[in-house]
Amino acid sequence: MRLTSRSAKHQAKLDLPLTSMIDVVFLLLIYFIVTSSLIETERELDPGIKVQRATPTSAADLAPAVVDVVRGGPGFVYRLGGREITSAAELRSVLTQFENKIDGAFVRVDDDAPFDMAAIAIQACKDARFLTVSYVPLSAAP
Amino acid sequence: MRFNKRARGGALGMNMTPMIDVVFLLLIYFMTAMQVKSVSKEDVELPPLAGSQEQSESSLTVNVMRSGEIFVNGNPLTVPQLASLVGDELARVDNEPSRVSVVVRADRRGRAGPVNQIVSALERFDIRRVNIGVQEPRP
Repeated sequence: MRLTSRSAKHQAKLDLPLTSMIDVVFLLLIYFIVTSSLIETERELDPGIKVQRATPTSAADLAPAVVDVVRGGPGFVYRLGGREITSAAELRSVLTQFENKIDGAFVRVDDDAPFDMAAIAIQACKDARFLTVSYVPLSAAP
Repeated sequence: MRFNKRARGGALGMNMTPMIDVVFLLLIYFMTAMQVKSVSKEDVELPPLAGSQEQSESSLTVNVMRSGEIFVNGNPLTVPQLASLVGDELARVDNEPSRVSVVVRADRRGRAGPVNQIVSALERFDIRRVNIGVQEPRP
């Protein structure tokens, strides 16, 4: 698109009003800059999947680090080795102190638990630098 | 801003072409970037967490709404229907589960039950990893 230069044959003065076009273009540009900054960045957690089979298993089968997101008291809690934890910060702190990070961590989530808590538990295990983190559904249904 | 008028009337040699080029390029960039926001993503409130990896390319994006409804590409599905879709996807990649990447975008306010069902369904297809969508918290 040649807007400014003209061939020698057509030397007649071309009065192309650019101002309004530039106004519109700048407005559109500002609109897109603003709206695109409103789109929030998504990231991912990538836990492995483990499903408990019909044979009854205990937490020890999934040792060493098993975080249960289960009902406890008035709401849901993180249960780790018989200890009930209510806050994400405390869970992260306890998991960080685990010595064996090589065998991974397991997050077992009750069907009724808030999904938010499951994600927080997985994140806490990742933050505590467990080599692998597995998601284990605690479903009543088969 | 006055681009084409000068008080002194002298010819102004301001070349507009590169500026217009740049502005149009920026405009096209932002319009394209907006379009990249895939139609496969429903409006769900993801858990505000840092995550462990960048968003990856997925073969299947499963949206779990707060109510527990499951949406894939804008269509509501039941877990058996989703399982059938995963089976089709698996067949497309020569039944190699490691080549199927599933992202679960679940609403943080919902229950974990539907996610548990999805994870169990994936496990039946020998898919050993699931990507859970999270939202990077604002600084």
